[in-house]
Amino acid sequence: MKIILATLSLVFAFVWNASANDPAYESAMKKQIQAMKTIQNLEQSQSVINGFVRIAEAKTTEWLPYYYAAYLQTIAAFRFEVNKDQYFDQAMELMSKADKIAPNNSEITVLKGFIIMGKLAVDPMSRGQELSPLAMQTFGKAIALDKENPRATTMMAQMEQGMAQFFGQGPEKACGLARVGLELFAKEEAKINENYLLPTWGKREAEQVAGACK
Amino acid sequence: MKPIFSFLILFLWIQNLGFAQTNLLGKVLDGKNQPLPGVNVFLKGTFDGASTDQGGSFQFETAETGAQILVFSMMGFKSQEVIVELSGKTLEIPTLILKEEFNELNTVTISAGAMEASDEKKSVILRPLDIVTTPSAMGDIVGAFQTLPGTSTVGNDGRLFVRGGDASEVGIFIDGLRVGNAYGTTAGNVPTRTRFNPNLFKGTFFSTGGYSAEFGQALSSALALNTKDLAKRNQGDLSIMSVGGGYAHTLANEKRSLTVTGNLFDLKPYQGIIKQDFDWERAPYGSDLELAAQQKTAKGGLWKVLARTESGGMKLWQAQPGVADRGMLIQVKNTYSYSQTNWRKAYESGWSLFGGVSYSSNKDRLNFGGTEIERISQLTHAKWTASYDFSDHLAVKNGAEFFRNDYSEALTKENLERNFGDNQGYLFTEWDWYISQKFVLRSGLRAGFSALADQKWLDPRASLAYKISENGTLSLAAGRFHQLPEERFRVLNANLKNTESGHLILNYLYQKEGKTFRAEAFHKSYDHLVRFEGNPQNPQSVRNEGEGFARGFDVFFRDRESLRNTDYWITYSFVDSKRSYFQYTGQVQPDFAPKHNLSVVVKHFVPHLKSQLGLSWSFNDGLTYTDPNRPGEMNSKTGSFQNLSLSWSYLPRPNLIIHGAITNVTGHRNIFGYQFAQAPNEQGRFESMPLGQGAPRFLFLGIFFTISKDKNANNLNNL
Repeated sequence: MKIILATLSLVFAFVWNASANDPAYESAMKKQIQAMKTIQNLEQSQSVINGFVRIAEAKTTEWLPYYYAAYLQTIAAFRFEVNKDQYFDQAMELMSKADKIAPNNSEITVLKGFIIMGKLAVDPMSRGQELSPLAMQTFGKAIALDKENPRATTMMAQMEQGMAQFFGQGPEKACGLARVGLELFAKEEAKINENYLLPTWGKREAEQVAGACK
Repeated sequence: MKPIFSFLILFLWIQNLGFAQTNLLGKVLDGKNQPLPGVNVFLKGTFDGASTDQGGSFQFETAETGAQILVFSMMGFKSQEVIVELSGKTLEIPTLILKEEFNELNTVTISAGAMEASDEKKSVILRPLDIVTTPSAMGDIVGAFQTLPGTSTVGNDGRLFVRGGDASEVGIFIDGLRVGNAYGTTAGNVPTRTRFNPNLFKGTFFSTGGYSAEFGQALSSALALNTKDLAKRNQGDLSIMSVGGGYAHTLANEKRSLTVTGNLFDLKPYQGIIKQDFDWERAPYGSDLELAAQQKTAKGGLWKVLARTESGGMKLWQAQPGVADRGMLIQVKNTYSYSQTNWRKAYESGWSLFGGVSYSSNKDRLNFGGTEIERISQLTHAKWTASYDFSDHLAVKNGAEFFRNDYSEALTKENLERNFGDNQGYLFTEWDWYISQKFVLRSGLRAGFSALADQKWLDPRASLAYKISENGTLSLAAGRFHQLPEERFRVLNANLKNTESGHLILNYLYQKEGKTFRAEAFHKSYDHLVRFEGNPQNPQSVRNEGEGFARGFDVFFRDRESLRNTDYWITYSFVDSKRSYFQYTGQVQPDFAPKHNLSVVVKHFVPHLKSQLGLSWSFNDGLTYTDPNRPGEMNSKTGSFQNLSLSWSYLPRPNLIIHGAITNVTGHRNIFGYQFAQAPNEQGRFESMPLGQGAPRFLFLGIFFTISKDKNANNLNNL
């Protein structure tokens, strides 16, 4: 009995270790993250998205590959001539898969808010009333889940900036948020090394908002 | 430990075989045999794979060996799996065709008769916000629909009239459940409104004919209102208006939400400032209390409750033709309640279930120059549906419904009462066949039973749509519709059977980013309509003997794109309708079916003013009436109806809206008919009085303020 228990615990320890530190997964992710930085056109974008989806389908315990696939899908909708609504919907579909693996994750929540912002931008006249509070609320939730998440603060700063411009109000709130975002990005950068897989995007957006604050 | 050890050796051995790389290549085409780029081709359970290029080709290497599953996947397409044997050599996969999945974006939808307002769906005519911001609507749902094709504005009634049908022929549903007495009770010639606030709803589905087998007891039209899902945040909404005020409070979290609303209105102060043409003894007043709750249940179900109660009244003098004094004093007092609960859930197996019950109760206490009448109407509706998607090609919806209807009317002073009670049962089934992405066929059957009328009936319905170009769809719909006569007639003759109509509709819809063009032609037949002797105030020998028809066409054009910050729509409806009904012996054009109906709505957003300016203009060529001084029935027609309304919505802050609107800016003198004396005067003429508007114009001013104590907002301030 003792031997069985010992064997079992050993096996579990091994399995746990393997999943926490899977070199094949990590190198596959690194390869796609590298490829992500060189995307020039829609075809390349789709190819990297597919790469992340392959990792996600093979490694069903990780939310990150779905996250990156959804992120690229969202960026593609903004960057390229595509059916934006369809792209945002598909990004949301990928996000709900990530959400099932890691519920209440701040990064996932920010990206969901970003997708909502994209849908809002397609038709602000008729979607504004419904979607702008929803986007604000989603970014608020992302901040609540992780106050150190620079992307949550930055996206909220962007929303606040848009609202302030629309209603002709002062940029103080947006500027404050952007400054906090930039501080958080500095903290995050200190942690980044060659093995860092988590999202790092958003600094440029924070700088943009902060840039309009002089 | 020995077996584990040997397992490890085996594992390493397999790993070592890995240097024998297999090279996979092949090509993927779409349903039209065109190369399909961007397809994800990979070995299941591994990271190995590639995307197809512009030519639809793929190529990748893998260290895996033996039998493996090769997956071809792309969003919007049906995935395919192929078993491959990897042997360390080049393996060419036979060319594969991926088929597109049918979904709302790429598949045709049936548009005959239907006009949908929703934020979620693509093929919509109006968005919920459009309803609130249509100037002539004054925040009334039905007011906004009166600018859509197939409807007529009857300015002294306010209800919805569709294609030569009277107002009772429009069935109104909330979350699929029937609403009894959906309009406020009013005195003759004072226009009414829908009782329900447009803010309750996330979407509406308005059909002017040929609608689904799901809807019954409506000869002309179905108006389905869908309530909002979970509220997003805690907030308070305060409204202060020229005619009253109200407050709504919402409590929400991720699982459930609750909104309680209370409103008061009274036109007395308004009428004190603005001169009225009606002789009011007591201006219309009322109050309402409403509760809406939503709760997410386990695994994606949603449970909703809506309850509303209201009371109100009015008192006015109605002058009589040929009589010099103030005329007859009419008093209306009304209490109304509506409550419903429903539950819906979609299962991953392809089933979705719905169940709900609604109860409407209306009580009117009327006084016509001393004659006291009390009317009580109660309607219970229970409904269950089960839908199943066999595949993306075939879906079915089945349902069962039960109605209980009680009605009584009494002369209170004389202690006389008459009443009836009826039980009705319905079964329906509807099948959607997607034959291709371009062609869909819907067929449905509805069976009904009424205990009081002692009648069973069947309504077959069918529609189809064919996509004739990238943006254009042609639809055809036909069906039979039954409706039991109005309560006021059934109480006189319990043996009254169903009235009947048959619809045939041909529709063309063109939709391209920001532009919608819609043209529809229709023919509608009527049979077994209610007829009687005498007049509508005192009908004698009520029977199902009337018949008639309505035919015509309507066109609609909406453009939200061409002019910057501007959205406009233009509607023209032509209706040629004749029927023998009520006291009319021959077939006549009814007094609610003007031939030519035109409306224009323009909304323009001015960013630097933070304002939306609105304009709406309605026109019809006049209503028919019978002039007893001339021979024949419905022998005369009023002048044209015209109404130009303007509105201004100003958003100084995200949580503050100031809205002002004015109807009939030009002060056009609209006449809706004439009231004639019961008997001729000494010269042998029937004296008459025009039925006009309560006032030339109506002015509205409102301030809407939202107070939000959002938890997230507080978090923000703490940063």
